[in-house]
Amino acid sequence: MKRPIRSVAVGAAGTALALALAACGGAPADTGGPVTITFWGSYGNGGNSAQQEVLNDTLIPAFEEANPGIQVEYVDVPYDDLLQKLTTSAAGDELPDLVRADLGWVPRFAELGVLVPLSEVMPDFQELADATYPGVLATNLYDGEYYGLPLDTNTRVLITNPDALAAAGWDAPPATFDEFLELGDDLDGTGFTLFADGGLGAWNLMPWIWSGGGDIADEGLTTSSGVLDSDENIATVQMLVDLYQEGRASSGLIGNAGAVSTSEGLPGGQYATIFDGPWMNGIWESQFADFAPIYSPIPAGDGGSVSVVGGEDIVLTASSEHQEAALEFIRFTQTEEFQLALVPTGQLTVIKALGEQQVELVPYYEVFTRQLETAKNRLAITRASEVDSILNAELVPAFEGTVSVEEALRNAAAKIDELLG
Amino acid sequence: MNRRTPRRTTALVVRLLLLTAGALVMVTPFLYLLGISFTPNAFVLTTPPQFIPESPTLDNYAQALEAQDIPRAFLNSLVVAIVSTALSLLLSSMMAFAFARFVFPLKETIFRILLVGLMIPAVLLLIPQFVLAKHLDLLDSYAGLVVFYVAGSLALNTFLLRGFFESIPAELDQAMELDGAGVWTRYWRLTLPLAKPGLATATIFTFLGVWDEFTWALTILNDPEIRTLPIAIRLLAGVGNNAVQWGVVFAASAIAVIPVVVVFLVFQRYFVQGLTAGAVKG
Amino acid sequence: MTSSLTASPRAASAARGGARRRIPVAPYLFLAPGVILFGATILYPITQAVQMSFFDWKIVGSAASEFLGLDNYVRAFQDEQFWLSFGNTVFYLAATIFPQIMLGLLVALLLHAHSPARPLFRVLYYLPVVTSWVVVSLLFRFLFADAGLVNFVLGDLFHLTDGSTSWLADRWTGMIAISALGIWKGVGWSMMIFLAALQGVPRTLEEAALVDGANAVQRFRAVTVPAIRAALAFVTIMLVIGGFNVFISVYLMTGGGPAGETDVLLTYMYYQAFGNLDFGYGAAIAVILTLLVFALSVLQLRLFRDRDGAGVAG
Repeated sequence: MKRPIRSVAVGAAGTALALALAACGGAPADTGGPVTITFWGSYGNGGNSAQQEVLNDTLIPAFEEANPGIQVEYVDVPYDDLLQKLTTSAAGDELPDLVRADLGWVPRFAELGVLVPLSEVMPDFQELADATYPGVLATNLYDGEYYGLPLDTNTRVLITNPDALAAAGWDAPPATFDEFLELGDDLDGTGFTLFADGGLGAWNLMPWIWSGGGDIADEGLTTSSGVLDSDENIATVQMLVDLYQEGRASSGLIGNAGAVSTSEGLPGGQYATIFDGPWMNGIWESQFADFAPIYSPIPAGDGGSVSVVGGEDIVLTASSEHQEAALEFIRFTQTEEFQLALVPTGQLTVIKALGEQQVELVPYYEVFTRQLETAKNRLAITRASEVDSILNAELVPAFEGTVSVEEALRNAAAKIDELLG
Repeated sequence: MNRRTPRRTTALVVRLLLLTAGALVMVTPFLYLLGISFTPNAFVLTTPPQFIPESPTLDNYAQALEAQDIPRAFLNSLVVAIVSTALSLLLSSMMAFAFARFVFPLKETIFRILLVGLMIPAVLLLIPQFVLAKHLDLLDSYAGLVVFYVAGSLALNTFLLRGFFESIPAELDQAMELDGAGVWTRYWRLTLPLAKPGLATATIFTFLGVWDEFTWALTILNDPEIRTLPIAIRLLAGVGNNAVQWGVVFAASAIAVIPVVVVFLVFQRYFVQGLTAGAVKG
Repeated sequence: MTSSLTASPRAASAARGGARRRIPVAPYLFLAPGVILFGATILYPITQAVQMSFFDWKIVGSAASEFLGLDNYVRAFQDEQFWLSFGNTVFYLAATIFPQIMLGLLVALLLHAHSPARPLFRVLYYLPVVTSWVVVSLLFRFLFADAGLVNFVLGDLFHLTDGSTSWLADRWTGMIAISALGIWKGVGWSMMIFLAALQGVPRTLEEAALVDGANAVQRFRAVTVPAIRAALAFVTIMLVIGGFNVFISVYLMTGGGPAGETDVLLTYMYYQAFGNLDFGYGAAIAVILTLLVFALSVLQLRLFRDRDGAGVAG
């Protein structure tokens, strides 16, 4: 959408290729013997094999039984290296049929022309898409077409250590920016640091920005200048800078890899609050069995309580030789059976209608489910990864006190303009 | 000679003290790793740091072994490392022999080009090599690992072995030639046995490099059955930086270190024997 | 095999300038298998990578890539982050090479003179070398954490600092931590090479020097230094190459952070290539790096050879 000539050309080529393949590849696959579709993802990461087990032992067998003649081979790839493996495989035309892709990657691979636009090849696409949360669905949009469907989602909420509240004499977590700052005052001398986070990328910063009433670019994604450096954002970021300089926010914020991580510092009693996702519970259950975190919405500013959408999409590659079979599996991922089976393992469903059932299965998801209703998507551009580096590079000096917040935001906006233009 | 003894004793004590102090610095982080691998996760980051966990546990090892097929990956790595090391040593010692014992046109040019292979960042070659491996039908196979591991270690080993071969007195070679020995015999029967310290060094380096290699293996392998150990460890290491389960990662790492230490122990005795020196005397 | 005459380097240098022999076949036969493999799997991909650096290279459908000539190179020289990464790489080289050589040689000498428990020491010093880079990088990130062992030792044990240094939160302290890992992991490696080389020193020579009444320094210079010259050249060159190629430790310890301040050339190259999919630019950075290392290595080989006259490898 932003880099007119090249992306349109590539997108068109990709579409043509996809259609050609769909036309000639679909039929023989259906008439021939059993086909095997491969599916790459990172379900089994971190020594916690619960998700991978559900997938391999329950879901895939169920799919294979319902669809005789199709076999699904799932390959687990380390999360941190999946992007590299996908990139190299794309260069060698060796992509699998299906990929569980981080939602930030879809536009970039769509631009490369290696994905099939589902909105074009799936007759029932609209029906499936309508069932999902719009914020998550939007991550699949590139150049007017949808290149994937949401697979699972998550968002960040405020997670509070109950001991910190007790130490400050509070009985509920802060609900607004003002309360948040007050809590900081009341924590003085208790040994708790008010807030911790692991960087200044969009994932970290956008909940503050949106809740503070600001944004990173205009709605049409044409400019960041005049938006990112707005008065609202200057006030919001200044608030964080002040907290950091007063020692009330962890140095992890400015990218100190040596800071106590949020997953250890919150239950360990260093940090009072963090923003994080639904997977944390699984980590704490095994390591900090006595810890009872409190989940609550992101503190509200002038813009309300607005968080950031995360998660994964499922995409079909243009090189797939079994597109019909692969599409069948994509449909399966949108069913109640698939979605709810993964809920207890830390995955939030992407289907709006399943929200209630999900909360019945896992009560603490209620806050996440509610937060998702207003959560927004980060900039859906092909060079989204550069936004994170820009934000970090320009804002860290403001936190270190060498430039003003206004100047830092103005510089960042100018650089993001280049990605948009 | 008697006067010497006290001075020698002092020298020995100083030497031992120095060596021990250094060894302590070398080993401390490693003991810390072992300590953490036996520590329940909740107590990993404590001040003061604990080397010996208060309530040691084998859970981390159990979890590592359960989450990934570590024995299988271990075996895969072992096979790939042994085959690659053997092939690499054969090919590179032949090349080193040519460089050390002959004068021929283009010798230094070829050698320099080889050196470039040593300097180019491996990650730059990832995509071209992947495409090549695809055309050679080497993706997702042991052969794909071995071929590129051998190729990747040739430059270093040739460079290393050439130095060792050149330090073997040429007179031995010439004497043997006068006795009517062919080139192959001189390479196989004379040079290789005399260069055992060098070959042992190259073996250790090559085995180590292959054992540790991650990026290429991850890129070309899909089949979980042929996954190597570094991939299995990386799969344990978790998502992003927040959820690392250090105890489990370090337990798997401790398992991975064992064979390399064994290889080192086996081959290091060649240094002790001082074979080259012995040969010169004889 | 035909026995075309072998010429040792020494014999060769003696005969240099003399009559040229007929071109021998044997060396080419010995070279062939290795060179063919090397040419196909390393050299050919290198030429492709160099080509990429002249294009706005597209990973898919690369035929459509736009030719840029030297633009990627010009861009690098005007890129602040490139120079910052370059500066950090040079810092790493300066901070790690000399200590690795000196400490490695020192340990090798201490071990070479008959020490009790020699095999044990050798293993202990070699442990860091045999442990995977990924593992030791994670381990050192852990040790240099705010609440890590290093702060504990410096602050609480020896009271050298106040024990609250945020090592990984600043460019220079971060580079110090990364360099500390480099030295720690590398000492055992250079020790090994020096030890192997010292095995080549004929005992008779040392004993003869001893009988002649040479003191330790004289013996070191007359007997040891010549014996390890080739090893020294090898170690120095390998360390320069390794130093320029430092990657995993930075990637895993700081990730180049905070805000890219601890980036080195390869982390920056990796970010450009696989993070931004700007392969042309990434390749250009890597080619610059390779040219630099190559020039330095050739220079070093010259230096070592000129001082000696005899054939050091290369």
